Amino acid sequence: MTTPPHPDLPLPADEPLDDVDFRLLDDIRDMFDAADPMPADLPERIRFFLALRDLEIEVARLAEEDQPALAVRGAEQSRTITFDSDSLTIMIRIEANQDATVRIDGWLAPPQRREVEMKTTTDSLTVSSDEQGRFAFARVPRGTAQLIVRLGDPGPGGAGRSVVTPALIL
Amino acid sequence: MDDREPVTTQAGQPRRNARGAGTVRAARQGSEDALGQIVTELSPLLWHVARAAGLGPGAAEDVLQTVWMRLVAHLDDIHTSAALTGWLVTTTRREAWRVRAAERRELPADQELLAEVPDRGPGSEEQVIVDDQRRALWVAIGRLSARCQELLRIIAFAPRPDYAAVAAELGMPIGSVGPTRGRCLAKLRALLASSFGGSW
Repeated sequence: MTTPPHPDLPLPADEPLDDVDFRLLDDIRDMFDAADPMPADLPERIRFFLALRDLEIEVARLAEEDQPALAVRGAEQSRTITFDSDSLTIMIRIEANQDATVRIDGWLAPPQRREVEMKTTTDSLTVSSDEQGRFAFARVPRGTAQLIVRLGDPGPGGAGRSVVTPALIL
Repeated sequence: MDDREPVTTQAGQPRRNARGAGTVRAARQGSEDALGQIVTELSPLLWHVARAAGLGPGAAEDVLQTVWMRLVAHLDDIHTSAALTGWLVTTTRREAWRVRAAERRELPADQELLAEVPDRGPGSEEQVIVDDQRRALWVAIGRLSARCQELLRIIAFAPRPDYAAVAAELGMPIGSVGPTRGRCLAKLRALLASSFGGSW
């Protein structure tokens, strides 16, 4: 570093922003972007959440997540997640398929026949649970996903009541 | 909806906002795409508004979610991109203060704004700020008042066409020809000039 020259005059604060100011602001942005980046998937999760605003929803809480030790047989990986809401418990087991997808087996408690939707960033898949409350999605693309369980038939006003899980990363 | 302009992010290039005039209107009329576009573009700005207010990452996420939900209820009252950005900044700031005040009641802690920014343990800023100019900038910003640190951090993430609106929401004076440098940038440049001379 050379001998610090004294700034001959303080810059006027009431001048319009010039190129140096803009470059500085760009540098400040890059600096904070590197030091404290917004989680990359946050806008996506917010979009997910906003997309559900028209539904009468109950948001289920993550109750338990069980990820087995890394030393699993071969490349097989599975984890089990339980969500709780006032009217429903949703338990899912996620298993990796050979391709870039996952298989999801789920149970609703108390057991009931319901329409279960898996909403991903690219599309949505809908299945029905059986009388034992079981449901399955054979192939779900990896990425962000959210489960929606419809508790009733849509009334004349539109969508019926639903239980939604927080966004999951598959 | 196809009237959006490309976002130029290259250093030194003007950053335009990605929302054309029609995007806010489309979002108001219920377009998920338009709303999503706005969320994607402005969430980084709001993240830094919330973090600059001293919130931890988890609380910042919650605040953003709350603010976006509230925006949906208020879209009818917002007609321009600049007004939208201004509204979001102010609402995020207020909500962050509210949450922060509640946290403070539980856990009294008053740290320096910038000191708590790098959230990844000591020395992280040394790793990410590689060159001397960046390091000098980081040091110089650290010597500004907490208010200047907050203002510059927020302004730096505002889409350029919305600077004036954001500056106004932050209580900065606006000149007749648009946003002015302001005391914070003037002070920052003086600090940098005294350590780096002509290179700034």
